[in-house]
Amino acid sequence: MNLKNLPAKKTMKLLALLLTSLLIASVSAFTYYSLTISSTITVYAANVYFIEGTDNNTGPGPVILTLDSTNTTATITGLVAYKNASLTYTNVTLVYNNGGSASQLRLAPYTDPSTNPEDFVYVKFLLNATTAGDRRWLNYTSDGSSWTSPGSATSWTTTGLGASAMWPVVIMTKANATATASQTVDIAITVDVQ
Amino acid sequence: MASALLPEFFALLGIDLFLMLSLLTCLLDDRMPKALPYIYQMAALAGFGHILVSKNFFTVFGDYMRFWYCFIYLLVSLANIVAVNVYFGVVNKQWTIAKFWSGAVTFPSILISIFFVANYGFLQGMSFPLFLQIALVLSAIIMGTSIAIFLSPEVLRNRSGRKRR
Repeated sequence: MNLKNLPAKKTMKLLALLLTSLLIASVSAFTYYSLTISSTITVYAANVYFIEGTDNNTGPGPVILTLDSTNTTATITGLVAYKNASLTYTNVTLVYNNGGSASQLRLAPYTDPSTNPEDFVYVKFLLNATTAGDRRWLNYTSDGSSWTSPGSATSWTTTGLGASAMWPVVIMTKANATATASQTVDIAITVDVQ
Repeated sequence: MASALLPEFFALLGIDLFLMLSLLTCLLDDRMPKALPYIYQMAALAGFGHILVSKNFFTVFGDYMRFWYCFIYLLVSLANIVAVNVYFGVVNKQWTIAKFWSGAVTFPSILISIFFVANYGFLQGMSFPLFLQIALVLSAIIMGTSIAIFLSPEVLRNRSGRKRR
C-alpha cells in the first residue's frame, strides 16, 4: 500500500480519524496523569512544632522536657503540685510556627487522668497566645473522688500563630491539702494545628 | 522510588490499542467493513469514560474493582486485535495481510500487555513464580510460531513436501 496513492476521500477520512485519535489519546493520558497526582502523598516536615522553654530542667522536680526527633511530641516529666497552693509552669515548652503563614491551633484531650483524684485539685493547660482572644484552656479538675475532664477540644484560635511566632504552653497544678506525697497522675493532650 | 502503576493504566493501554485498530482498519477499509474504524473510535471513547469514572469515584471504588474493569477493557481490545487477525486469515483468506498483522500488531500487543500486567502484579507485591515466567515465555513462543504457521500454510506444505521427497 502506497500512502501517496490514497484517494483524497480516504486521506481525509484517515486524517479526521488521526485527529480524533490524538485528541482521545491525549485527553485520556492527561486524565490518567491527574489520577496519579491525586493519589500521590508527599512526606513533608511539620511547620508547627514544639521547642524547649526556659523552665526546662528547673524547679523542684526538676522539670524535664523530652522532644521526639520531629519535635511533634513533647513529654514533660518532673512536674510538681504543691499541697493547697497553685504552681504555674509558664515556659516549659512552646509551640513554634516555622511556616510562612499563620496557623490556627486548639487544645484537645487525649488521655484523661484516672489515678489519685483524692490527691489533686486541678491540672490546667493554657495555650498562652499573645492575643488574649486566642488563649485556650484545657482544665482537669478533681472533686476529691473523681476527675472531671474536658469532654471535647477547645475552639480553634481566630488570629492564629503567625509565621516565626511562638506561644508557651502554661501548666498549672494544685494538690489537695490532705494529699499523700509522691502520688502521681498522667495526662496527655494534643495541640491540633490547621 | 519508582511510582506504582494505577489500574487505569490498562484502560489507557486499551484505548491506545483501539485507536491503533481504528487507524489500521481505516487504511485497510477496502478489505474491512466501512464502519469499523468509527466503531473502534467509539470503543476508545468508552475507555476514556472508564478513566473518568475512576477519577470521579477514586475513593469509592477499591483497587480490586478498578483493576478488573480496566483489565477486562484491555482484554476486549486484545480480543478485537485477534478477531481482526482471524478475519483476515480465515474469513478473507488474505494470508499475507494476516501474517503481517500477527507479526506487527497481534503478537507485540499481547506481549506488551502481558509485560505491564506482570509489572503491575509485581508492584502490588504479588510474587511471579519462575515456572510461571518460563511458561509465559514458552507460550509466547509457541503462540507466535503457531500463528505464523497457521497463517502461512505454504511453510508446512513445503516442509512436508521436502520430507516426502
